[in-house]
Amino acid sequence: MNPSMTALEHLWQWSPALLRGMGANIGISLLAVALGTLAGLLVGAASMSHATVLQHATRLWVQLFRNAPVLVLIYFTTYVFPFEIGPAVWRLPFPDWLKVVLGLALPTSANVAEIFRGAVQSIPSAQWEAAQSLAMRRAQVFRVVILPQCLRRMLPPWMNLYASIAMSTSLASLVGVHDLVDTAQIASNTVARTDFTVLVYGAILALFFAYCYPIARFTQALEKRHAFR
Amino acid sequence: MADALLHGAVAALKPLGLNYAFVLDAGERAAFLRGMGVTLELCIAVIPGSLAVGVALAAALTSGRAWLALPARAFVEVTRNTPTLVQLYCAFLVLNMLITQQFRQFGAGNPLTPFVWVFIVVSLHKGAFHAEALRAGIQAVPPAMLEAARSLGFGRAHLLWRIELPLALRFALPSLVNNVVDLVKMTAVASAIAVGDVTYESIMIWTNRDNVLELLLLILLYFGLLTWAVARAGRWLEGRLRMPGYGQ
Repeated sequence: MNPSMTALEHLWQWSPALLRGMGANIGISLLAVALGTLAGLLVGAASMSHATVLQHATRLWVQLFRNAPVLVLIYFTTYVFPFEIGPAVWRLPFPDWLKVVLGLALPTSANVAEIFRGAVQSIPSAQWEAAQSLAMRRAQVFRVVILPQCLRRMLPPWMNLYASIAMSTSLASLVGVHDLVDTAQIASNTVARTDFTVLVYGAILALFFAYCYPIARFTQALEKRHAFR
Repeated sequence: MADALLHGAVAALKPLGLNYAFVLDAGERAAFLRGMGVTLELCIAVIPGSLAVGVALAAALTSGRAWLALPARAFVEVTRNTPTLVQLYCAFLVLNMLITQQFRQFGAGNPLTPFVWVFIVVSLHKGAFHAEALRAGIQAVPPAMLEAARSLGFGRAHLLWRIELPLALRFALPSLVNNVVDLVKMTAVASAIAVGDVTYESIMIWTNRDNVLELLLLILLYFGLLTWAVARAGRWLEGRLRMPGYGQ
């Protein structure tokens, strides 16, 4: 370490590592939300079926994963799942970052299921009846009439969920994934200077804010536009 | 008697592949119970703390004075759009370090414990969310009611405390309850800075015993119980505070 360097110069030196860490956060959040959304749409659809078994099972799923702290779910997928997966001979490594993705996909799926169900129920039931009186089948009504309206209503809450999951990716550092927070901790311990520590934690706060604030503003704009319709 | 019951329960769960032998160890059982207590203490401390922050921020946001409203708005936006863990690190690893250095100059120790930092950070974090809910509630108060109160000689503070907040509370109660449920779950981050909450004590136990699944199930059950209690209390309060002809 060169003692004559200022804290800002240290930060510049560490910026590629920090940005790589941020890339890990963004990648994990994108994958987790993609997986969680797919699973959540299935769970949400199942919760609206007429089969009582499915209704109970999906209710349990939603209650369990919405009421569990995300950190606990991340510990769950990290420590309970094996470090390798696959049948006997073909062993594939099961890295920690992928387990974090699954740990975040669980609460995402539960929330998406609720968003989906809420959106479908927000459509006036008269529309179902009107469409059925036009001799459309249940599946047809759903696809042609209900779903297009739902998608528009689901977008704002879904984006809020995305921002919340993106922020939760910081918890990955607690199970040893080299994300932005973990990189900042390493940097702060390596440089070991008070002014740099202040700077680097301020920087990661600013980076998360720069990522999540535009999403929040865009969501608000969408909500406003929707409210005027 | 209780011991026999515990032995029986552990033996009954064994065939299911769940090894709860740790509850038979007096030390580990005590640690787990202590952790449950600390989580409960955190919740009990942070709920009023966050509500106080929320009321103060909501008052600043709706004050109509830019020098109050703008900083409050900036604080709310930064708090809502950054991870709690990073905020906790900024407080505990940065602010706490600076404060410790100051105290050391006077030859004293830092009186702020990790528990206090979690209390401060989660109160401020959830306070920002409460503030947004209360602000919406304050803005939903019918203007005629405010004019009526002003004509009766209510001052600003009086108006806020006696007219706007009671109505805003009723309007915002569902979101406030939601926020409190979130708050209960959020206390789990305390384990990141070694506050001995239920998550932290469990980590300590499972690094010795390799019984992660068993402990996680207990933690989930405990948080499930806490959030259920909060939701029940919220519903009771909603019924209790309902005003005919106002709100949902």
